[in-house]
Amino acid sequence: MVLGSIFNAGVSIEYYIVLSTILFVIGAIGVMVRRNAIILLMCIELMLNAVNLLMVAFSTYFGKADGQIFVFFIMVVAAAEATVGLSILVMAYRNIRTTDVGLFNKLKG
Amino acid sequence: MDALIIVFVTGLISMFIAMAKKPVLVLATAMIGLSSALALMINQWWTGTGFIQLNYEGLLFDKPSILYSSLAISFVLLIIAGGYSYFKQEVEHTGEYISLLIFSLVGAMCMIAFTDLFMFFLGLEILSIPIYVMVGSKKRDILSTEASLKYFFTGSLATGILLFGTAWVYGATGSFKINEISAAILDGSAKGALLNVGILIMMAAFLFKVGAAPFHFWSPDVYGGAPTIVTGFMAAVVKLAGLFAFLKLFTFTFWGAYPLWSGALFGIIILTVIVGNLSALAQTRFKRMLAFSSIANAGYALIAIMNQSNWSTWNLWMYIYGYGFAIIALIIISLLVNDENDSIEGFRGVGRKNPFIGFVLTVSLLSLAGVPPLAGFFGKYMVFAAAFKQYPVLVITAIATSGIGMVYYLRFFMTAMAKEENESTVEKLKPSILQTIVLLICAIALLIGGYIAY
Repeated sequence: MVLGSIFNAGVSIEYYIVLSTILFVIGAIGVMVRRNAIILLMCIELMLNAVNLLMVAFSTYFGKADGQIFVFFIMVVAAAEATVGLSILVMAYRNIRTTDVGLFNKLKG
Repeated sequence: MDALIIVFVTGLISMFIAMAKKPVLVLATAMIGLSSALALMINQWWTGTGFIQLNYEGLLFDKPSILYSSLAISFVLLIIAGGYSYFKQEVEHTGEYISLLIFSLVGAMCMIAFTDLFMFFLGLEILSIPIYVMVGSKKRDILSTEASLKYFFTGSLATGILLFGTAWVYGATGSFKINEISAAILDGSAKGALLNVGILIMMAAFLFKVGAAPFHFWSPDVYGGAPTIVTGFMAAVVKLAGLFAFLKLFTFTFWGAYPLWSGALFGIIILTVIVGNLSALAQTRFKRMLAFSSIANAGYALIAIMNQSNWSTWNLWMYIYGYGFAIIALIIISLLVNDENDSIEGFRGVGRKNPFIGFVLTVSLLSLAGVPPLAGFFGKYMVFAAAFKQYPVLVITAIATSGIGMVYYLRFFMTAMAKEENESTVEKLKPSILQTIVLLICAIALLIGGYIAY
């Protein structure tokens, strides 16, 4: 699989895998350690974009279009999810007056 | 395929008919639409073809898919009928509640009938996004808001992880179609490292969604904070769709990589049944107890996915059948009791106030505990018996922990059947006609479970 080259630019698929894994891990760690809900949303977007990058890279590598079509689906779903997420956040802000997810702790016990 | 279209159109119509501000119209639309979808499913089961033949290969309603879809549609029918008294409290939102549940059902059906990862991913999102909204549907309630936010973040994290796994599997096999993926894995043309990483990442995301043990932390909070009826929907329909998709994807598609994921799943099942049952023992709130019980139940159901039997589809179906009807009956009783603190003590004396509810409560709790003549027993028996030869340790752990499970189910049962101290203040519980019918159907379904199993 190392043999494939993308866009005839000599960038092998490995670099795309490594780059998107790094982006994905940054996003996942961000979701786990950050406390501001808006930044959490951004981190989730980052994760999804890392996936998009990987999908497009593989799609070009195989010379098939289906990976790129999947990316369109991911974009649409990410938009829908962000919409719902932001509205939930607005509702939460109205009730609790904070976007700090650490303060949402009424349900324990 | 026609049933799926009917369900979707039902959702649309019930959303728009709600503008008339007459909740009963919405209910009637939903009931008629879902019943006809169920009838179409049964028709397709007997004749083998639907009325509409679309030349689309992403969705295939074969026999197992029909079986699971029918069960999902029945669950949603019962939940909508039983929760109607709750939905109609806010007249302007009745249509939204019911149509969101139905749209979520569309997602569940896509997740059940998928044949490529496109439809699987879309189904998962169509299932999840309405539930994020439904969980937060008590807008002024801080707990409901918090549950919604938590569910949203864990759910979208799981989606992200799942997609990442999908991308790796795509990179290894070059296809999204599950036939081609399984063929590529079996003939060895898939690339090893990419595939293994992809499968393990996808498994983690799945375990997030079904709430299995190291990834279960969100589920008690979300189940506890959500409106009662939505808790029932999550426990019944979402688990059903998630577990069947898990079965289809792992037991059938990733079959060639069985040694890789079965080892990980083995440990996770043992952890899940132990953590779920032991934590449920300590709970004082009903919905949190239900959440841990559903974690434990997900653990038992995963055993059906582990073993190599040809019957695992049917065993899992039987298991979910017994579990789902019992959960729906309990949820509707909890809706009737309507205890503000949601504590188990709030159920004290329920069985004496209304003997019919006491009877249904008894049947569903005993079924969850796995007492012989009821559906829950047959589900457990079939799953355990099929796996015993291959994984004796796993099955013995599961049986031992379901003994622990019996303790809290029976403790709850004793509370509900106990005598109330001051009988004079007791007011009778009055289920509406719809709720009586729903409870009756659940009880009958649990009682005849043994006949269905054979």
